[in-house]
Amino acid sequence: MNSSVSLKWFLGAVVAMALQVLFLRDIALANVAFCFIYVWVIVKAPMRVATPLLLVFAFFAGWIIDVFYNTHGLHAFGTVMLALLRPTFFRILTPANGYDERSEISLSEMKWLWFFSYVGLMLITHHVILFLFEASDWALFGLSMLRALSSAMLGLIVFGLLEFFNRGQ
Amino acid sequence: MNQLFQFLLRQRTFLLFLMLEIVNLWAIFSYNSYQHTWYFNTTNEWAASILSTTQEVKKYHQLRIVNAELAAENARLHTQVLQLRSQAQPSGKIPYFASAAMLNRYQAVACKVIDQTTQLAQNYVTIDKGLADGIKPGMAVISATGIVGKVMSSTQNLSLIVSVLHTSNTVSAKLKSSGELGYMKWSGYQAEVGELMDVSKYKKVTKGDTVVTSDYNAVFPPNVPIGIVAKVGKEKDDTFHDIKVMLLTKFSTLQYVYVIKNRMAYQQAKLEQNKPKSE
Repeated sequence: MNSSVSLKWFLGAVVAMALQVLFLRDIALANVAFCFIYVWVIVKAPMRVATPLLLVFAFFAGWIIDVFYNTHGLHAFGTVMLALLRPTFFRILTPANGYDERSEISLSEMKWLWFFSYVGLMLITHHVILFLFEASDWALFGLSMLRALSSAMLGLIVFGLLEFFNRGQ
Repeated sequence: MNQLFQFLLRQRTFLLFLMLEIVNLWAIFSYNSYQHTWYFNTTNEWAASILSTTQEVKKYHQLRIVNAELAAENARLHTQVLQLRSQAQPSGKIPYFASAAMLNRYQAVACKVIDQTTQLAQNYVTIDKGLADGIKPGMAVISATGIVGKVMSSTQNLSLIVSVLHTSNTVSAKLKSSGELGYMKWSGYQAEVGELMDVSKYKKVTKGDTVVTSDYNAVFPPNVPIGIVAKVGKEKDDTFHDIKVMLLTKFSTLQYVYVIKNRMAYQQAKLEQNKPKSE
């Protein structure tokens, strides 16, 4: 694992978490689109980070969010699930010439189609789990799915913008 | 052991995942009030439905016992009803009080039918109590709805009853509304129909009258229902009504019967033995 990539990821994770709990906590567009930028921690984790390590990171990230959101265990459940599924998503989305192990997951190094399918898949999975579990009621299935999909769309836009601004560096 | 360890080592990622998710689930269900309530209600509901199903099954298996208990309770109630009936003031003006011995004259014992016939000309019923339970030949047997017959013979634990569905078993009867006396006889076919004999054609008998046992009955307590008048016609000699009675006892589904012990039976028989024979 490239140490500079790891350091960048770790710092980014801290910033994303802080943004999430300090600024984005109470923001919801039209009451259905929530911005869960902390998923960045798992989405942008280096390619070759060991899954057990990522599971632990995801757990703590989710747990901290839960503490601030007052939803004990809900976000952590989603993030841990996401960390386990990440290698599977990599396998599903394998490009024709395979992965470059040293590469960072970013719009500048990956093809934009791969990047957006990967981020979209991650966000939808996480949000569907999160909102369904939060509602815990099949009567609210429609609303939960609407929230999950609109939040994933918003997430895609935000992640795209972040990558776009990072690209110049 | 080594293989198990190898397996655990190979699955360590998944095991770690499971462990973390279990911690999360535990947190979700114990600290979030909505999910906590949901968990509590759902598990309660499941537990309740399982318990109620078990209860249903148990109830079904207890039906036999419950039936026996109900029959015993009915026997107690029958005893009381007979007691209250003998206590009742007759309609006349003469003040009448039954003696304590007469009040407690009858006692009902619940018995289970273990064998019976209804299709023959002479039918009998076998019940599961006998001399050991104080049942003796000559006692009356009734069901929840009407009369059944008379105990013919008893062994230690079983008794044989001459059913009213027996051509030579006649029962002293009266019409409840008019008090008109007669006797009930079975004609030898149709377990639902009996005949009321000896009712004068000059007396008014209407369809739907209830036929009960008479007060002059040596076997049955008075006023036990026998049947309902179903058809009134005239006999050929034009002296008596030809009355068909629908029996109230459902012999085809008879399960429990009540043997009526009459404490005065012995005294009465002994007393009436000394009647001078009229030549």
